[in-house]
Amino acid sequence: MDYKIIPSICSYCGCGCGVLFQVFDGKLVGTLPMKTHLVNEGKLCIKGWNLHEHVVSDKRLKSPMLKKDGNLQETTWDEAIQTTADKLKAIIQKHGPDSVGVLASAKVTNEENYLAQKFTRAAIGTNNVDHCARL
Amino acid sequence: MEEQMKEWPEPFSTTGGKTSMLVTMQEQVKEWLDQDKVDLFLGYKMVQKHPLPHCFTKDNLDEVDELIAGQARYSLEKIATKIAAERPEIKIGLLARDCNQRALNVLYVWNQLNPDNLETINVNCCPSKLKEHGDCSYLEPEQVGSFKKMIGIDNIIEVKAAEEFSQEDRFNRWMYEFQKCLKCYGCRNICPVCFCEECSLEHTDLIATGSIPPEVPIFHLVRAVHMGGRCIDCGLCEDTCPVDIPLRLLYRKVNETVEDVFGYVTGTNADQSPFNLLGDEVTLKIKPI
Ligand code: SF4
Ligand code: SF4
Repeated sequence: MDYKIIPSICSYCGCGCGVLFQVFDGKLVGTLPMKTHLVNEGKLCIKGWNLHEHVVSDKRLKSPMLKKDGNLQETTWDEAIQTTADKLKAIIQKHGPDSVGVLASAKVTNEENYLAQKFTRAAIGTNNVDHCARL
Repeated sequence: MEEQMKEWPEPFSTTGGKTSMLVTMQEQVKEWLDQDKVDLFLGYKMVQKHPLPHCFTKDNLDEVDELIAGQARYSLEKIATKIAAERPEIKIGLLARDCNQRALNVLYVWNQLNPDNLETINVNCCPSKLKEHGDCSYLEPEQVGSFKKMIGIDNIIEVKAAEEFSQEDRFNRWMYEFQKCLKCYGCRNICPVCFCEECSLEHTDLIATGSIPPEVPIFHLVRAVHMGGRCIDCGLCEDTCPVDIPLRLLYRKVNETVEDVFGYVTGTNADQSPFNLLGDEVTLKIKPI
């Protein structure tokens, strides 16, 4: 029998509430609010309370999906990235860089968000970059 | 994040060193684990500067040196209930404050835990402050602001004082409180004595889905009714409620009625509850009022 409490941060929104994962024999079975965390002081919203459910959900995507012959199919990261790059290039060539927009995330680091805007402005060539906190 | 953290003094230590009480507690736990009196011990340990619930086992006896009483209060008995549901034969040791002990009594009554498989080490009730206020019913509660006092309900008000509001005033005040509800289910999720497989609060005929606040006042009153003979006034629900609804006041009121009618004081012992429908004996005895 192995029971563990693992502190973590909620992955849903940008608030970053402190959570505790309850792990029973290697299986994630529950989420608790962290009482001493300064962001949430022991409180959570309904999404946070149910974090463990989406982690272990069988509906969760575990690899990138690519639409082939009208159906979404599992694929490798290499193929997914290559396809996205090819399509982006084709769109930019045909409709210009302003036809592309990039939405960054509250749940990645500042540095990753910086990279996202750099990529949008320098590689794609548009100012169409925004963030999920404003959606 | 680290520099933001407050220092949490260990309740048993004023100097930062280990007090003899803490050492005694750790030795006791080591002995229990070593001699297989318990298979695991639920207590607290500092992890990333936070006092977190922790499960100590025989495989890692040295770790017991890090056992603390913890300044934050979690429902260790709820964790025990979860473990027992999966592995009923396991012997569980538990660090118990007064509220944990009361909850254990209720869990024994309702056959969620077997007292023969449980050992407790009793510690003082919330010996230090988690926040500026105590979460426990025995400690000084949080002060509420003047707006809430004026149109809502002060969380620390006594049942008697709350009953002095006129009917209409009382109704409006409660509705003000209830309509803040986010339907997070935190009050139910954290409650040590909420263990039903199917919860009425998730029953779509009773509580419609798709909007917040949930149906008021049904949502809160359903929960309140179910807390009669169950709630041990630990305060965890109110503490986890993101919108500070004075939930305990409701549950205190229903338990007052339970006491008046059945002479049953919830959580004080592991005697049969008047509401228990199992067994040969009729336990529902009404007291003459
Ligand atoms: S005070 Fe709240 S959390 Fe504690 S037993 Fe009562 S209803 Fe449950
Ligand atoms: S904890 Fe508060 S906000 Fe959440 S469901 Fe309970 S009463 Fe509503």
